[in-house]
Amino acid sequence: MEASINAHMPGLVARVVVAEGTRITVGQEVAVINCMKNELSVLSQYNGVVKKILVKEWDEMQVDHPMIIVEVN
Amino acid sequence: MIIKKLLIANRGEIVSRIIRTCRDLGIGSVAVYSEADRNSAFLKQADETYFIGPANPIKSYLNIDVLIEAGKKSGADAVHPGYGFLSENASFAEAVTSAGMTWVGPSAKVLKAVESKCYCRNIAEKVGVPVNPGTLDPVKGFDEIAEFARKHGYPIFLKLDRGGGGKGIEMIEDDHRIKEVFERISRIGHIAFNSSDCYIEKMLSRPRHIEVQFIGDRDGHYVCLGERECSIQRRHQKIIEESPSPVVTEGERQMIFDYTLRLASAMGYHGAGTMEFLRSEHGVYYFMEVNARLQVEHPVTELITGIDIVKNQLLIASGAQLAFTQEQVQRRGHVIEARVYAEDPLSFHPSPGIIRALRIPLDLDHIRIDHALAENETVPPFYDPLLAKTVAWGWTRPEAVNRLCLALQRFNIEGLKTTIPTNFFILKSRDFAEGHFNTGFVKEMFGDIR
Repeated sequence: MEASINAHMPGLVARVVVAEGTRITVGQEVAVINCMKNELSVLSQYNGVVKKILVKEWDEMQVDHPMIIVEVN
Repeated sequence: MIIKKLLIANRGEIVSRIIRTCRDLGIGSVAVYSEADRNSAFLKQADETYFIGPANPIKSYLNIDVLIEAGKKSGADAVHPGYGFLSENASFAEAVTSAGMTWVGPSAKVLKAVESKCYCRNIAEKVGVPVNPGTLDPVKGFDEIAEFARKHGYPIFLKLDRGGGGKGIEMIEDDHRIKEVFERISRIGHIAFNSSDCYIEKMLSRPRHIEVQFIGDRDGHYVCLGERECSIQRRHQKIIEESPSPVVTEGERQMIFDYTLRLASAMGYHGAGTMEFLRSEHGVYYFMEVNARLQVEHPVTELITGIDIVKNQLLIASGAQLAFTQEQVQRRGHVIEARVYAEDPLSFHPSPGIIRALRIPLDLDHIRIDHALAENETVPPFYDPLLAKTVAWGWTRPEAVNRLCLALQRFNIEGLKTTIPTNFFILKSRDFAEGHFNTGFVKEMFGDIR
């Protein structure tokens, strides 16, 4: 099953800390959003493998904007 | 006044603030805006506005080329950088000057030099101003950090030589974390500040943050406009500032004024600036760094002295001499400022959004509110969370605090979370009222925050 990890806060993508193919677990930091000069971790809600990264550094995020597609275990 | 038209390379409340002085002096004002600020209230007060690019600050407010372009297109003959963004950027100062415009601030040469905290520490050492115990020059590796800790004990701070804005400061409490912290801070420095150099400072126990506002002209005349107590901070960023400090004695004041003058003249500084000091619990002052720009909290000093700092910045940039002497600077009563941030009042988690309803208490006596807010205004997630500064004057500290509380009580911003309740909570606390606090105050009151 595929699922997406979405932005929980608006802002700019500071960095993506996983790569396509990375195995991730629930609660793991997958990306960082810079909101009002504050760095906020985006955490995975899934156990699985990163299938596709949809965003890059400095992309503008709105809440619920899909960031990473995960192949869920 | 030589300056006829001023471009303000910034956004938000500071643009409105600078325009106010432009109007007093008959100077035309040019504001710039990114995509995210297309409808922002600060633009409405400017005589002219220029679009400078996407919301991402790297492409707009931090983009030297488009800012210079806007300056040329508008025919501005001077640039005021405000605070934050490019305000202390030597390359920007240079680009402004090369484009034939006047830079409102210290020279590019001074900016380049003071960007390095180790340079400042060395200058201080040379002119006999104490600096916080630590290294004067960048550390070479973690062996040096371990050796320093063995000699002087933990906790210590590792600080980026070119860090700023509360970034690039890490505490180390034991040997095990040296390598990890050293590598992390070097990485941050490399990415964010183009330099991974860092130095050591011994952590002072319960220090207070005391700073001195000064201004100097190109002929080397300097005056100190008084100190500001800025110990109430979260994430190394200030929340409440006041003048005079509840603890600084007249003797201490004269001493830190003297330190400030020695440092400023050794740096060859002209324009407005601030020397930041830490005061130990035993009343010893250590020079920390110079803020080579107009500061967020400058209204505190303006209210206590009656001196318009922005006006004097513009005069000095135009080549004028200081129009007053140290003896003519009168400090009257007490001033206290509370910053209102778009943040959760307890967790300080950012809270961008849309202002649905707004009431600003502008009808109160002895209250100044610097802001650029309006109903239905979007507070974008891309920039600093500062919404407004509420500043109160009183003959005494309790009078100023009471006035500030009243103003905050009547300040209403709906649609997003603000730190108005936080300010209230701090101002009403007993320790604050009695002047018993240090830079750890917010942490003690609200717990560990990121």
